[in-house]
Amino acid sequence: MNPSAQKVWNEANQKANQGRRFTIDPITRLEGHGKIDIFLDAKGDVERAYLQIPELRGFEVFSLGRPAEEMPQITSRICGVCPTAHHMAATKALDDLYKVEPASAARKIRELVYNTFVMEDHALHVYVLGGPDFIVGPEAPPELRNIVGVIQKVGLEMGKTVISMRRRLREMIAYFGGKVIHPVMGLPGGVAKGLNPSDLGRFKELARDNQGFAATTLQVFKDIVLKNPEYVKMITSDGYTHKTHYMGLVDKNNKVNFYDGLIRVVDPTGKEFAKFPVQQYRDYVGEHVEPWSYIKFCYLKPLGWTGFDEGPKSSVYAVAPLARLNAADGMATPKAQKAYEEFYKTLGGKPVHHTLANHYARVVEMVYAAERIEELLNDPEIVSKEIRTIPTQKPTVGIGVVEAPRGTLFHHFETDDNGIVTKANLIVATQNNASRIAMSVDKAAKSLIHNGQVTEGLMNKVEMAFRAYDPCFGCATHTLPGHTPLWVRIFDPQRQLVQELIRG
Amino acid sequence: MNPSAPGKQVLLLGLGNDILADDSIGLRVVQILRERRPPDPRLDFIDTCEMGLSLLDFIEGYRQVLLVDAVQTRQAPPGFIHEINVADLPTLPQYSPHFLGVGEVMALGRLLGLAMPEKFRIYAVEVADPFTVKTELTPIMEQALPGVLAHLDNALTEALKD
Repeated sequence: MNPSAQKVWNEANQKANQGRRFTIDPITRLEGHGKIDIFLDAKGDVERAYLQIPELRGFEVFSLGRPAEEMPQITSRICGVCPTAHHMAATKALDDLYKVEPASAARKIRELVYNTFVMEDHALHVYVLGGPDFIVGPEAPPELRNIVGVIQKVGLEMGKTVISMRRRLREMIAYFGGKVIHPVMGLPGGVAKGLNPSDLGRFKELARDNQGFAATTLQVFKDIVLKNPEYVKMITSDGYTHKTHYMGLVDKNNKVNFYDGLIRVVDPTGKEFAKFPVQQYRDYVGEHVEPWSYIKFCYLKPLGWTGFDEGPKSSVYAVAPLARLNAADGMATPKAQKAYEEFYKTLGGKPVHHTLANHYARVVEMVYAAERIEELLNDPEIVSKEIRTIPTQKPTVGIGVVEAPRGTLFHHFETDDNGIVTKANLIVATQNNASRIAMSVDKAAKSLIHNGQVTEGLMNKVEMAFRAYDPCFGCATHTLPGHTPLWVRIFDPQRQLVQELIRG
Repeated sequence: MNPSAPGKQVLLLGLGNDILADDSIGLRVVQILRERRPPDPRLDFIDTCEMGLSLLDFIEGYRQVLLVDAVQTRQAPPGFIHEINVADLPTLPQYSPHFLGVGEVMALGRLLGLAMPEKFRIYAVEVADPFTVKTELTPIMEQALPGVLAHLDNALTEALKD
């Protein structure tokens, strides 16, 4: 760094540090910090702004030399936010590794547990993480924009229901897999524990209550969000809209499925672009690295890297609830299908390109998960003792996929003849979404920075732009100060840091 | 896991990730002190990789909670313990409302009529590397560990006098 740039950097750094509030809340790790880099051109306008997605170091090195059977446990330990998604993707990769079809009852148990996890995680987001924006309202005073404000709005009884449903759903996950955070359930070809018929009654009761909970949530969302023209205007505003491709798992009827199916991609007009089994993901998902950055931006390989652009020729795609709805032809259960149709009617037809519609799409998916849980518990085979097909094939390559709450999650392992890992690769939902998230952050920054002048409101607008995706930084925070700190760095055309803004 | 029986008064709660290098410090402290200290019916130990709303399930019913976790401020040497009383934390965030911290969990618990701890103290241990996937601590944290253990051991003894 040259001396003048060094001086600017030091001053900016000092100034930023003065502003730090020295409070610690280690639980901030859950959401992580948003680290945004903004590059200015010679005129001082924004050339490009990026959200840095923190990278986990050493995963492949850690995996090498370990038995593949450990991967469902190891990967579920990496991230405290999505343990069940990693566990299930790795378990399915093991099925593929040993070329074994899981026993029919085991497959149903996995799908039951998986839908329960999606239900619970979505409920947390609707009420706790997204709730402050949508239930309390983006314009509400800051002291009300939190979980306490959400409960005031939806009522104390509903608040208690949210907490108790979450506990009961997690108990069902734990019944099959032990600890929610470190599940021990998936084995190649099956699951470790079946459902005892004597326990079926209480789970069916949970499923009924859960259906009621999902229906109430949909009603709460309609009453509070959709009946407010201001919210609908914000959801559909240009600032939060990008016309990209969408990716999601679909069943044989092209209906949304979280656990299994083919990966379907639709173009920005909603037309099918590709449909393929996960084993071919390398043919469709490319990873582009910007020269200045360590982030990998996923894109649709057949189209080649087209840059951070939207439209029919762009290779950028999105995942997560909105993308799943767009990539499918509907929902496989009746109440969810009704909610799906209403979703598109409300937002002006398919596909919907408004990023903030993810919150609504999440509620539609909760309705589906609740119905699917009940269907699976009503299936007589769910209590079968035939829960394992013993693998007989030699392991080579195993690739698995699930729809994590935040989007498509790929696990890819290769082993030697003894099942010892020789190669490991994960593509997580936030990586799949990285290009589109970058575009949203860029759009916000461009509208707010001109001639090198950073206008007020940058932080809020930029933060809203990426928060809508619910990007998961699960493993990467550990910063003082306390509340989802936002860290913006601004670079001049020589790539020297000229300004740093930290808000805690 | 929640104590409804009388006599269970103090909880040492360790958070962290056991395969992210120094991030495991909170878990290790709890595991080691659980073995090292003489059994005491008033004291419970929980080490968990969970966080956020799950904290509610762990802390409900305890009179006092001591929480150990990893933090990286880069403003203190590894092993330094930042101590914070939860009473001093913002319970209702002014900035970003999109996650649940200890302050919010306590506020939520009270609102729902759950028994929340009267005292809640956080021991955030400064760490060197919480991002590399491995089960060992960095050498510098390994060196700092005895000091961290002694600090928390004393804190527990004091808490039990209370």
